[in-house]
Amino acid sequence: MAIPPGRYTLGPADGTLTVRTGKAGAAAKAGHNLVIEVTRWEASLQVGEGGGSVALTADARSLAVRSGSGGMGSLGDEEKASIAQSIDDDVLKGGTIAFRSSAVDEAPGGLRVQGDLDLLGTTRPVAFDLDAGDGGRLTGSIRFKQSDWGIKPFSALFGTLKVADEVEVGVDAKLPVE
Amino acid sequence: MVELDHSFSTGKPTDYNWQAILDLDRLIPCVQGGKIVERTSPTAAKAEIKVKMGAMSMTFAGTVEVVEQDDAAHRAIVKIKSREVGGQGFANADVAFALTDGGGDIHTAAQITGKAASMGEGVVVSVLDGLIKDFTQRLGQI
Repeated sequence: MAIPPGRYTLGPADGTLTVRTGKAGAAAKAGHNLVIEVTRWEASLQVGEGGGSVALTADARSLAVRSGSGGMGSLGDEEKASIAQSIDDDVLKGGTIAFRSSAVDEAPGGLRVQGDLDLLGTTRPVAFDLDAGDGGRLTGSIRFKQSDWGIKPFSALFGTLKVADEVEVGVDAKLPVE
Repeated sequence: MVELDHSFSTGKPTDYNWQAILDLDRLIPCVQGGKIVERTSPTAAKAEIKVKMGAMSMTFAGTVEVVEQDDAAHRAIVKIKSREVGGQGFANADVAFALTDGGGDIHTAAQITGKAASMGEGVVVSVLDGLIKDFTQRLGQI
């Protein structure tokens, strides 16, 4: 389904921006695969005859752990808050999270987006598909390695339990009616 | 039983190192997450260690005691007996120090049960190895 031409502004009221992390290291079985929601973000999407543009900024201090699976024990509110604190203090440190497209092309079922992702001051090119579904639903995701942006994956237990280098960031939103 | 060998280097004279490792007030904080709860004698202390496992943590509480001490050979054995706070497990270890010029060797024989051990011996060995390596680096600055 094609996205109707227009200019759209999206935020947490229109959908979710989610980070999914895995685990690595000798003690990986003790850790959890995490689903983390970015609770403050803003995206703009312009779709027109001559192409379009996509931009997104997110507040690095707005990540909230929603669920964890596959670890020892279940994650309670205290553990979730502890992880969010570690993200703030040790990983993202309130740095920049910003994406700006350099090319947006029509693709089957949506848009093919290429652009630059700035994470904590390091900018690298990324590409992803935005799929348009029924009722204005818009979904897309990218996978990337934290280390490619100079981020050292979080580790604990003397380095034997780590967040996997590769993370997945996905958006699932509904285009607001202009 | 898990047995591990490590070396450490302080760059300081043997007599200095000998006094340092026998001083539990200096030795125990060299273990990441370790702290003295109460000194019970010149060679013994009640202590606890909090091990962070990502978001979760486990605390072991028990005793640390210098049970053998050969001043001439600069060899000592420190015995650790602990129980998991709020759990069923325990973690016991005999840590043998043998000092050489500017550092020393550590032989650790540990027995760990409960939630920590349920991750498997390979994991226990990796974590213990990481803990002791970190300990030896801190010993270098004691």
